[in-house]
Amino acid sequence: MQDRPTAVELLDALGGFMRDRAENARDRWERFQFQVAANSIGIIKRELELEDGFMRAEWAGLDRLLGAEEMPKEQAALAVRLGERNAELVEQIRSGAFDGEAEARLLPHLWETIVNKVRVASPNEAL
Amino acid sequence: MSPEKRGTGDVAVEAARRVLGDGAAISEPRKLAGGAMHDSWAVDGTVDGSSRELVVRVSPAGRADYEKTRREFEVLKVAFGRGVRCPQPIDVGRFESGEDYLVMSRVRGDSNPRQLVTSDQYAGARKRLIAQLAEDLARIHQISPDDVAAAPNMRGPAAGEDPLAYHRREAEAMFRVFLLNPHPAIDWAFRWLDRQIERLPRPQRAPCVVHGDFRIGNVMYDEDGLTSLLDWEGTHIGEPEEDIAWLCTRVWRFGKNDLQAGGIAPREEWVRACEIASGLEISRERVATWEVLQNIRWAEITMMQARAHLDGHTQSHELAAIGRRTAETELEILRLTGALARG
Repeated sequence: MQDRPTAVELLDALGGFMRDRAENARDRWERFQFQVAANSIGIIKRELELEDGFMRAEWAGLDRLLGAEEMPKEQAALAVRLGERNAELVEQIRSGAFDGEAEARLLPHLWETIVNKVRVASPNEAL
Repeated sequence: MSPEKRGTGDVAVEAARRVLGDGAAISEPRKLAGGAMHDSWAVDGTVDGSSRELVVRVSPAGRADYEKTRREFEVLKVAFGRGVRCPQPIDVGRFESGEDYLVMSRVRGDSNPRQLVTSDQYAGARKRLIAQLAEDLARIHQISPDDVAAAPNMRGPAAGEDPLAYHRREAEAMFRVFLLNPHPAIDWAFRWLDRQIERLPRPQRAPCVVHGDFRIGNVMYDEDGLTSLLDWEGTHIGEPEEDIAWLCTRVWRFGKNDLQAGGIAPREEWVRACEIASGLEISRERVATWEVLQNIRWAEITMMQARAHLDGHTQSHELAAIGRRTAETELEILRLTGALARG
């Protein structure tokens, strides 16, 4: 167990620094660079808080589309296997397995996983 | 000065001298805001008492693509001759040291798109702009592939091929090269596009020149509206609906999402303005289909930019961050295809 500040608290501190530098920037270029940096800190923070649950939801969605499979317990292994299963899903989409009526099973999964990505990457764009 | 130590500003001055002659007095170059691939410089010269205001765009030796620069020059020449508001191209060339350059007339105006879309000062400009953009776009689309025969490598559909089908195929080839991880939604969108292309009537018009990057960020303006259309690097052969749809992509609206056309007008008002200016019948369904393809292309650009950083080509936290904008573009693709309604 690490001491406080927690990782999230450190990121908050860093984000505050970036925003302050943006506000007091010497020119438009510098302001923009610090705004982008502050945004990236925000992405990391939201990902730390939310991604665990989002990956489980994505796994469950893939179970419904590709057939159930035991979920790796370790986070890193889960990420690797999710990538592989998404590649399988892509192969099936390209082969036409989700054309026609099967599309109605695919689309809610695509929608959910993308909304979850957007909640981390650009929350103002999420519905 | 040795060629190795020469900056793009020095190259710009040298290019200006080629144009204006040895007798010209040439000012210090001023760097202009611009793209990631080139540097643009404002250069003033005085020849026999009269002054010339130039923009010199320089591609550094490692990034120079002379064929592309020449293509832009040749297309600009025709467009300028047809009365399109754009920079007058003056010279194109390259130096033995590897840089290439494009010399153009400098047009007055501002090119900050956020200010154009959001500032009260430009409310009048926004009102006039839609008709002006439609007018100039119609002039561009009247240019036939034969008219720009001097422009090298104008990619586009083969004779009789549907431009949408051609560019969809090109977009998928790009996607396979640039993707960093699987994107099931984009693969699904390609199949959606295929069904649309099969269903929609083939266009009866001959293919034409398109601007290729017709978005609000490439509009130069003042309080009276349009002064110049910038950045013709992407010009190629296609159909009008492609440029019409690119202006509508969500990423360039600066938050004004009810004004789909560049954050300045509703989509239908823009399409109607294009019909009035061109006398053509514009298929709303083709525009809608193009808008999906254009969002896929934007998603590819976000991947390409992130990749430029990840591959170590250009170390940049800004390029890395753009990689996370793919997701909002995928969401827009699902919105536009009606996937939510059906899912």
